[in-house]
Amino acid sequence: MKCSVQKLFIALIFVISATSQSSGQRPSVGSTPSGPPAGMVAIPSGVYFPLFRAETDLKEIAVKTFCLDIFPVTNGEFLEFIRSNPRWRRSAAKRILADKSYLKNWADDLDPGSNAPVNVPVTSVSWFAAKAYAQWKGKRLPTTAEWEYAAAASPNRADGQNDMAFKKQILQWYSTPSAEKLSAVGTNRANFWGVHDLHGLVWEWVADFNTAMVTGDARGDTGIDRQLFCGAGSQGAKDVGNFPAFMRYGFRSSLKADYCVHNLGFRCAKDL
Amino acid sequence: MKFFPSVLFLLLTAAGVTSCKINSLHSTNKQSCCSQAQAESPGTFTDKSVYQIQTTWTTDGGNQIKLDKLGGRPQVVAMFFANCQFACPIIVNDMKRLESSLPPASRSRIGFTLVSFDSERDTPAALAEYRKTRALSAEQWTLLRGNPDDVLELSALLGVKFKADANGQFAHSNVITILNAQGEIVYQQVGLNQDIQKARQTLQQLVEK
Repeated sequence: MKCSVQKLFIALIFVISATSQSSGQRPSVGSTPSGPPAGMVAIPSGVYFPLFRAETDLKEIAVKTFCLDIFPVTNGEFLEFIRSNPRWRRSAAKRILADKSYLKNWADDLDPGSNAPVNVPVTSVSWFAAKAYAQWKGKRLPTTAEWEYAAAASPNRADGQNDMAFKKQILQWYSTPSAEKLSAVGTNRANFWGVHDLHGLVWEWVADFNTAMVTGDARGDTGIDRQLFCGAGSQGAKDVGNFPAFMRYGFRSSLKADYCVHNLGFRCAKDL
Repeated sequence: MKFFPSVLFLLLTAAGVTSCKINSLHSTNKQSCCSQAQAESPGTFTDKSVYQIQTTWTTDGGNQIKLDKLGGRPQVVAMFFANCQFACPIIVNDMKRLESSLPPASRSRIGFTLVSFDSERDTPAALAEYRKTRALSAEQWTLLRGNPDDVLELSALLGVKFKADANGQFAHSNVITILNAQGEIVYQQVGLNQDIQKARQTLQQLVEK
């Protein structure tokens, strides 16, 4: 019980931002021969500025053009994966790869049931499960840089940093406890790139979630906590007003790869 | 001002989650000590085994091995990179201290494994050079490199965080993990230059079974 309450708390914490630069060209959506696969959009190359960095960290990370799923992966899609990969059934999953909350909202191994409608994002999946799904699809999980870069776009701008209505909306989501039942994917408006639900529905796994919260000083991993979270120390952050990015950063750093959290899902990326 | 309470909340939450997980790790350990009956051939390791990961790695001798090749005997595992100027030499030194603290009979039944973060520079030749410089015995020590994706996965399994920095170094947490013969994590030592008594006792118990 203690665990589930704590997970509920973590779940309250995760979603937006990072500043970004891009060419500002709206990408094409669809499945033209040279374009992105169906269900994905191409996000043009740009630069991601990490929210926080130690002296030796990279100041900016170039993000190459990549494809990103338009929607988070749904229960229905995950069911297909499980049908083809019996070792990922709830009853068969290895404990080291998915904790005991794995797919706990599903009715049965091959039945998401009424608590996990097929058009709703799959949640309570571990990083390993998300990664296995992505591999099965011939895709991969997005990196933190890719995810943050794509998620920095507001409905109208590639860089939503100065879009106050957008920022306000995200903060509002952060301050509202997760709904008992999640909405279907696509309920939220698409962002500038044509991607839905990066904010406002579920938290999402990224490939390199476990690179958050490591200091440049290898003698200990405590320095960055102090710098990031003590009032004055947050001046070292790229954008001190970016609360959502702080929250995502904190959330990612509190995760372990086998955690299955009730409002943590994922989407896939792919090289173009 | 609004920021401050939420941060406090965040920290409390993170701390709570950590303690919750540590508890579950302890209960895991209790089970693992009694599940020796599990077969040790590939694919039949327990649900808690790191060897559930079927990735392929390259040794400093240039051989390709599956991770579960390490199974069958307790392993002392750490992640490192050969160009590390500070922490890794100390981690390796801690492992060597541990090795020499064991009676020869026990030592010969335990493996020591170093897995590199640095997929680019730590080629088999670079690892072979590292083995030579650090005098790591061929019988006990395994040095591995893998592709970046597999390195990330293994680090996630072992709870090791790492990140490449702008100077070609890696910031990383310092963790020495003890796996039993089935590949289950039975003990983790965090930090550098720690007292090795607990680790030594853990290994001693594993080989005496």
